[in-house]
Amino acid sequence: MIEVLEIILRLALWLLVAPLLPGLINKVKAWVAGRRGPPVLQLYYDLARLWKKSVVMSTLASPAFIAGPAVAWVALLGAALLLPLGPLGGAVSFKGDVLLVVYLLAVARFCTTWAAMETGSAFEGMGAAREVSYAVLSEAALITAILSLSVQSGSVTLNDMLAPSSGAGAVLLAGGLFAVLLAENCRVPFDDPNTHLELTMIHEVMVLDHSGPPLAVVLHGAAMKLLLFSVLLSEAVLPLAQWSTWQASTALAGAVTAVTIGVGLVESLLARFAFSRVPLLLTTAFLLCLFALLLAWKGGAA
Amino acid sequence: MTPGPLVLLAALGLVAGILFGPRMPRFWLALTLVATLSGLAAALLVLGGGPEWEWRSAFAVGGEPLHLRLDGLSGLFIVLLSVVGSAGAIYAREYWSDQDHPHSAPRGRLWWSAMILSMIFVLLSSNGLHFLIGWELFAVSSYFLITLDRAQREVRMAGWLYLAASHAGTLCLFGFFVTLAARTGSWELGPMRSQANLAPLIWLALAGFAVKAGLFPVHIWLPSAHANAPSHVSALMSGVAIKMGIYGLVRFTGWLPVPAATGGVIIALGAVSALLGIAFALAQNDLKRLLAYCSVENVGIIAIGIGGALLGAAQGDAPWGRLLLAGSLLHVWNHGLFKALLFFGAGSVLHATGTREMSRLGGLWRSMPWTAAMFALGSAAISGLPPLNGFVSEWLVYLGLLDAALGRSTAAWAAIPAVIIVAVAGALALATFIKAGAVIFLGAPRTKAATQAHESGPLMRGAMLAIGAGCVAIGLAPIIVWPAIARAVGTWDPDWLALEPPVPLTTLGAAQVCLAVLFIGGVVWLWRRAHANGLRRGLTWDCGYSTPTARMQYTGGSFAGLAGGWFAWILQPQRTLRRPRGLFPIRAALVERVPETVLEHVIEPAAAVVMRLSRAARQLQHGRLHFYIVYLAGGLTVLAIIVWLGGIS
Amino acid sequence: MSELANLLIGLAMGLNLLALGSSRLPSVIRTVAVQGMALGLLPLVLETRFDWLVALVAVITLLVKGVMIPTLLRRAMRTANIDREMQPVIGFVPSLLLGAAGTIAAVAAARALPLLPEHADTLLVPGALALVFTGFVLLVGRVKAISQVCGYLILENGIYLFGMLLIGSTPLLVESGILLDLTVGIFVIGIIVDRIQRAFDSLDTRKLTVLRE
Repeated sequence: MIEVLEIILRLALWLLVAPLLPGLINKVKAWVAGRRGPPVLQLYYDLARLWKKSVVMSTLASPAFIAGPAVAWVALLGAALLLPLGPLGGAVSFKGDVLLVVYLLAVARFCTTWAAMETGSAFEGMGAAREVSYAVLSEAALITAILSLSVQSGSVTLNDMLAPSSGAGAVLLAGGLFAVLLAENCRVPFDDPNTHLELTMIHEVMVLDHSGPPLAVVLHGAAMKLLLFSVLLSEAVLPLAQWSTWQASTALAGAVTAVTIGVGLVESLLARFAFSRVPLLLTTAFLLCLFALLLAWKGGAA
Repeated sequence: MTPGPLVLLAALGLVAGILFGPRMPRFWLALTLVATLSGLAAALLVLGGGPEWEWRSAFAVGGEPLHLRLDGLSGLFIVLLSVVGSAGAIYAREYWSDQDHPHSAPRGRLWWSAMILSMIFVLLSSNGLHFLIGWELFAVSSYFLITLDRAQREVRMAGWLYLAASHAGTLCLFGFFVTLAARTGSWELGPMRSQANLAPLIWLALAGFAVKAGLFPVHIWLPSAHANAPSHVSALMSGVAIKMGIYGLVRFTGWLPVPAATGGVIIALGAVSALLGIAFALAQNDLKRLLAYCSVENVGIIAIGIGGALLGAAQGDAPWGRLLLAGSLLHVWNHGLFKALLFFGAGSVLHATGTREMSRLGGLWRSMPWTAAMFALGSAAISGLPPLNGFVSEWLVYLGLLDAALGRSTAAWAAIPAVIIVAVAGALALATFIKAGAVIFLGAPRTKAATQAHESGPLMRGAMLAIGAGCVAIGLAPIIVWPAIARAVGTWDPDWLALEPPVPLTTLGAAQVCLAVLFIGGVVWLWRRAHANGLRRGLTWDCGYSTPTARMQYTGGSFAGLAGGWFAWILQPQRTLRRPRGLFPIRAALVERVPETVLEHVIEPAAAVVMRLSRAARQLQHGRLHFYIVYLAGGLTVLAIIVWLGGIS
Repeated sequence: MSELANLLIGLAMGLNLLALGSSRLPSVIRTVAVQGMALGLLPLVLETRFDWLVALVAVITLLVKGVMIPTLLRRAMRTANIDREMQPVIGFVPSLLLGAAGTIAAVAAARALPLLPEHADTLLVPGALALVFTGFVLLVGRVKAISQVCGYLILENGIYLFGMLLIGSTPLLVESGILLDLTVGIFVIGIIVDRIQRAFDSLDTRKLTVLRE
């Protein structure tokens, strides 16, 4: 009984906190630009409004156009439940759960791109093609980061992998994972979440045709993915296991906020890269993770 | 109940199928089903924990008594063969019916039975000579199946290429078995790990079996053969026949001693196959070629598992070794299932539209919803997505590799790159199958053929549904298949028999079930919410463009362009572009072709050199008798001089 | 002591990758300058006691590598009116991956070498190998004369790092001689770059093949 309650609380935490992050990012951007900006809770209002709206669906689309966002959202939620929350650990934890998380992210990508292709629009096709192509490189970086964490901790269970700090390689790993976070969540410099109508878009262009509740689910899922990567990055770097529960929780919350503000700052200070430079940046992220792996390897051997 | 009578029943059924099949299609189907089901039952008896079955004949065939052995490993492959063999037979009855193909359908039934029979014989036979005979029969019968539609030149070329490549492999195997027999003094096969002088022979076996398995770079026959064969044959070829190469590898690395480098070499071959196979698949425009290249990738993953198992065995029976072998053997099943499903789906599309060219299709989900759903299921499974079966086997392989990396032994140097390559190949597979599924089934029809498509009939759908159910079942309840896998692993190395899975397979299964339930729940919830709010249909918004045409959609080529460009160094795509010119341009065209690089840039030039040399040599053979007499005299003189100088020592 | 030295060498190895991955010539020049300065500090860190001569060499190195050579290169770049490597022989992503592989191989190779125990756990030897390799990749893989000069400078940094192994026994004169050669070399290249630019209207060194007759 108590476990069920815990899972429900955990779900509520993820669901409720996630939309805060894009709001925070927008606030930071507005602050840097000297504007007042939309309220931090803007996404909550948007979601509530979208949830009540009716749906327009392309004449070409199959029912999977609505099923796709739903499955993607559930997959992200599942990944969120597996990810440990600092001292709390994951809702479920077993050997190899980290791979399930990685593949649940892939499920979300599969469903989002599939739904995007439903419309037959060339724009959405472009977005989907970019999404799956850049995922190839960010997947390499992500799996290398996971290798590095698991070599560092000697375990392939998320709870144990994320408890200690990643040691000497923490800086490298932080850099690599931050780049992966930006790429996977389609933020500047990989993508510009503010423009909706350009040929250069990735995520936003894939969801052009969604409306009403499915769009709400898509937006909420994107926010949750951002939170997921921020938590992963924070836990990979911080030595949470050394601290008491309260310290660790505060540190985690602080780190997630810091990451979010970092995203906002990057977005204010950098321009989107030309598409030809994106592979270079992701390769750099991969190499950072690779060198973190080497450091973890050497650190453990000594 | 022992497997013996069941095996006999299966053999009799298949022989009867060969005899009566061409004339009596219905009776043939019944015979094939009975035969495959009894083969399945026999294999399951052994895999379920029964004793191994062994039988020696009193009579001799070709100078050797028949020696059949049904153990965990051969049982594992017979299960897959039976499932795909029976589903393919059902599918073929509608797909390659006597009405549509009055000449080739009877032949198809004959060779189908013959191919299954020869494969079962190879899997059971425990005698080198008979193994070779069975192997050759298997190659020949699959050749005839590939060339069923031999009126087409392309099909004949594909068949020849297959036959040539297959025989190149058989040549290596011939060398392998003959040397083995010479060194052991008998054709009998069995565990002989203690005889160290046999170790180098594994390289011959590796060369021979790798050709059949389709490992890069000896996969050259595979794309054209799979693409040009009828789809049920492609399913059997890709699902089971290439696994015979894997069977050979697993079998003989288990029985024979192996040199220390073998594991590393097989992992390297597997990693190259996984990465390049899927890169080639992504760039294809022909649906069946795409699926064929994807088989190269999956065989690569299987090979990584086998190589890892060898490394584990070499490093004091490390526990991750058995994990890798288990994952790899489970992937044999899984790939057999979802690849058969995808080829069946491709066959349905081909049947309905008459083209394999993806850029001529589109929007087929409307006319063929069942095929679309099954193809999507297969795509998700082959991309290794939970909660389906592909994830379970890839998860096992990943865990084995990660454990090997954590061991910090020398094996980690192979395991770490392998993990990264498997992950990258997984992401590329996802891109490949989004491309395939989306371009064929989603959006608007691009040609008239695609508009007039029709759903396939109940037999074809039934076959797809049955195989799809298998994919879901293994994904949701992996613990059920574990004993069979454990049994096969235990056959490979008796010390590795572990009936309790070394990893939390039950937990994973539970998580997968939860996920499946939640996925369905989420879809239902959102679906109802959308309908409650009111759902209207409108034109695709497309940034406000109001008269889109079907040809404006993103094509497969453009979808793959970005990631394919990263592999242009090996793909060597050839483009011919005709730009629109002038004020009122009439025609513009872009044709893109991805060649089979190894074949066209390596083997064909090499073969051309050989041909040039032989043409030069042929000038000596002109048919004029008096010159031949001069040759004789010259040859004799040379011999005489050699003898006179003391001969060749 | 050796912690700090390792940090500096690690920084230099990271800068390698930066040099390999960036297409803008100014940032490559800056990277090489920072790398030279980081390595210039190394003698001060490695010596356990303060020595005027070593300090002098360090200061001169810092000045030459951090200020003088970059200034010369920037001026050459301005006269040639070029600031980007457009189409390298080896692309940026492949050269990055190559550089990373070379770095890993250097670490692995250094472990196999029979080194003195005091050098065994520092990054001196792997760093030197990695720098030489990176310089080599840049020299081979770029077509603009200025990028190739940068490659040459990284190569030289690598050789200098090897020299650190013998820091106790290298005479000051040799060190300063090398530095002088380097400066003169860059100076001459600056002039040549200008001439090539005027003669061919391009800095593509592949075009120099027409001079072979």
